[in-house]
Amino acid sequence: MIVRPVQITDLPALLALVQQAGPGFTTLPANEDRLTHRVRWAQRTFAEQVERADADYLFVLEDDDQRVVGVSALTGAVGMREPWYNYRVGLTVSSSADLGIQRQIPTLFLNNEMTGQSELCSLFLRPDQREGCNGRLLSLGRLLFVAEFPQLFGEKLIAELRGSADEQGRSPFWDSLGRHFFKMDFSYADHLSGMGNKSFIAELMPRQPLYTCLLTEQAQAVIGKAHPNTEPALKILNAEGFAHKDYIDIFDGGPVIEAQVSKIRAVRDSQPLALAIGTPDDQAPVWLIHNRRMENCRITAARARLVGNSLIVDRLTAKRLQLQPGDSVRAVPLLNQQQQAVAA
Amino acid sequence: MLVLRPVELTDLPQLQQLARDSLVGVTSLPDDSERLREKILDSCASFDKDVEGNGPENYFFVLEDVASQRLAGCSEVLATAGFSEPFYSLRNRHFTSASRELNIEHGVPALSLCHDLSGHTLLRGFHIDAERVGTPFSELLSRARLLFIAAHAPRFAEAVITEIVGYSDEQGQSPFWDALGKHFFDLPYVEAERLCGLESRTFLAELMPQYPIYVPMLPPAAQACIGRIHPDGQEAFDILAREGFETNSYIDLFDGGPTLYARTSNIRSIARSHTAVAQLAEGIDARGSYLVSNDSLKDFRAIVAELDYNAGQPVGLSAEMCAALNVTDGSPIRLIAL
Repeated sequence: MIVRPVQITDLPALLALVQQAGPGFTTLPANEDRLTHRVRWAQRTFAEQVERADADYLFVLEDDDQRVVGVSALTGAVGMREPWYNYRVGLTVSSSADLGIQRQIPTLFLNNEMTGQSELCSLFLRPDQREGCNGRLLSLGRLLFVAEFPQLFGEKLIAELRGSADEQGRSPFWDSLGRHFFKMDFSYADHLSGMGNKSFIAELMPRQPLYTCLLTEQAQAVIGKAHPNTEPALKILNAEGFAHKDYIDIFDGGPVIEAQVSKIRAVRDSQPLALAIGTPDDQAPVWLIHNRRMENCRITAARARLVGNSLIVDRLTAKRLQLQPGDSVRAVPLLNQQQQAVAA
Repeated sequence: MLVLRPVELTDLPQLQQLARDSLVGVTSLPDDSERLREKILDSCASFDKDVEGNGPENYFFVLEDVASQRLAGCSEVLATAGFSEPFYSLRNRHFTSASRELNIEHGVPALSLCHDLSGHTLLRGFHIDAERVGTPFSELLSRARLLFIAAHAPRFAEAVITEIVGYSDEQGQSPFWDALGKHFFDLPYVEAERLCGLESRTFLAELMPQYPIYVPMLPPAAQACIGRIHPDGQEAFDILAREGFETNSYIDLFDGGPTLYARTSNIRSIARSHTAVAQLAEGIDARGSYLVSNDSLKDFRAIVAELDYNAGQPVGLSAEMCAALNVTDGSPIRLIAL
């Protein structure tokens, strides 16, 4: 398996993949025109022909038979072309010393505070491929890419996780809040959002802070709660140092997780090494390895042995990375130390 | 005969009984003897005071049965709402959301805390014995205040408002309060209303929500209370509605009850009341029912009377009426058809 930049020739495979993901996958709608546009844009991005504000790094996960089985993306900066909105979950205290009353009321503040940060998005792995290192490779490959080209990204990486919804796709958060300002159901709003109308919709939202005690109990309960389907993706990013602070999605209340780029494990612990070909034994740890290229970026996960400044991998791995012995790679162990200890 | 007159300190014991019987939302009538005593003294001082404009004065009236000297009701006029302490309301206004790109535009009503009604004259503290509800004496108790304003216009503002008690059920539960105020005050509705009558109102400012409350986010039962009148407040509402008062976009911040508003000069009992001269008469060939008042300040009196009124002519009053109004032959009086 490798992670590489998307190509225009991937379009049919990509469309099939996105169709499997279903309507909840709003950032990559199964719409051929939009997908074509996005793939072309990604190609221009990897060719360094676009500004950071427009950069859209779309990767695919490809097996050794050149079948596309997953997709993930990374944007240069959010909110630089049109406003990017979140709610910050702040606090209002209602207090009277004379009466001995003290009420703490979580309050939602509409804001554009994530402007300029880079976003991890559009991750989907074919269900029959959700095994081994595939999920981590597809997700963390992006972090290694950021480690290699930090100047192309913001200080923080963020990810908006899909919020809690019932089996029919109804969001209690939307039903209690957004619905009153749009008079449309969540799936349609979600669809418009995926079609690139997110900021238009956000402009209809109330500008003033909102007291959460006025939301329904069901809505209050899902503030900052990720959809169960996002659990695996969330776990992977949590282990890298991503955390949910105070920001949520304005539509479904899902958490925005964030991390300082310099503190992300896969960035901080990654290092440039010289590639060597050998036979790393079965006990060797799995490494995430990037060939340090931009347009011809290849990232893979493979057992490797660190000897001095060299990373010893097998021949197939070098081939997947399109590298020769002695070429430079950027690499980091796939698992953090705690996970390695558990694995051992 | 029932007479409306300014309150006196000797009314305190009876007044406290009235306060005990009054509706929970009538916060200007606290069941607290010390506070009531202060209110009486404050009213006496207001009637005594020489003023050039409307200030903090509060004119407190009682309705007394002359024969038994029993009080049957009370009512007040505060010259200026918000003069000595902030007068809060919730303004119910539409916020427009619009997106040209999505071709969507609609208004969402939201309630915002405001002081917009500060500066107006406020009618308040209306309470009448249950057995007199729906009689001409309710009209007297409410509208005599308007005759008083007509007689002493410089003491009042150019607009008059009143808050009608909002809906609460027989257990004293207010759905509006439960959906809004309770979150911020952490108190039951009845207790909050009680505090409002008693304590300094600074706690209101400390505890009220400062950001707008979007109406569709409130539960339907609370939304239904916006502008809804407590059944026992209906008469007070109807009397003033007939006077030309109208509801507006302001509601009470505790129970969602409506606010009534009128330009002072447009109020029926002010615009259409007549001044005339009293004439002691033996027999009156009564042709209609009237509210009649003298035009004095400290000795203000008003009654309900059956009269033979002809424009431009002196108005015949019986000796009992003259005594009740504290007028003699030739005194100026003011009257309006009931």
